[in-house]
Amino acid sequence: MAIRVQLDRILAERRMSLTELADRVGVTVANLSILKTGKARAVRFTTLDALCRELDCQPGDLLAHEPGPGDVFDNDED
Amino acid sequence: MRLPKLPAVGIRAPRLPGANLRTLGPGSVSSLLKIALDVAYVLLALITGVLLLLWVASIFIPLDNLNVTVTDGDNGRQIPLTRPLLLFGVGAMTAYFGGFLMILRGLRKIFRTLTLGDPFQPDNVRRLRQIGLILAVVTGGVWLAQGLVAARLAPGVMEPQGVSDLLTPVFSILVVFVLAEVFREGARLRRESELTI
Repeated sequence: MAIRVQLDRILAERRMSLTELADRVGVTVANLSILKTGKARAVRFTTLDALCRELDCQPGDLLAHEPGPGDVFDNDED
Repeated sequence: MRLPKLPAVGIRAPRLPGANLRTLGPGSVSSLLKIALDVAYVLLALITGVLLLLWVASIFIPLDNLNVTVTDGDNGRQIPLTRPLLLFGVGAMTAYFGGFLMILRGLRKIFRTLTLGDPFQPDNVRRLRQIGLILAVVTGGVWLAQGLVAARLAPGVMEPQGVSDLLTPVFSILVVFVLAEVFREGARLRRESELTI
């Protein structure tokens, strides 16, 4: 998927650990890890809202679109 | 355009007595069915085991002056019991029961996931496809074996099998394959839900 979640960069900038963010947002560390490693298929608006609130950023700061050569027709990938 | 809301007429659908029954999870209908499947599986395993032993034994037992009656209800016909005939008969029965044993094995595993309340797994899709395939092989085998017996062993005694006899089994097999696709879609949605943060 061409959408990249730049959670690790923002966490490094904020000097915040994944565990601390998970506690603040109310999402498990496992789920945040899925988000961080780019394995997530979708993000709820409520999660995005909580992340932006706790990290004091905009959704655009968290998400980036980086299409690669194989990302044009990969809508059905697992 | 919004349509006006119709007044309620005061008629409600009657509540069925079993409407509150739990169908998934521990202590549900599926766990009861799983117990029934476990019992049937053990019985079928015993029958298949005995038949397998019988098939092995039929290679060695002497068959002097033994006859077998082929019957289709009213009239029967005696034919001499030869070793190939015995091996074919016992082998066919072993394969028949063995096929249903494998189907029950798959069903038990599916019902275990139903009892745990988590049926939409990729493994269940594979199991349902296997069940459909085994059902197709067993049904086709029975149809061929019955046709063979009617045509070769006892012509005129047994009715030959027609294609119309396959309609109901084929329908059942197709339903199993469709069900496998439903489970595949369920597993996909479950995975999608798991990866929605």
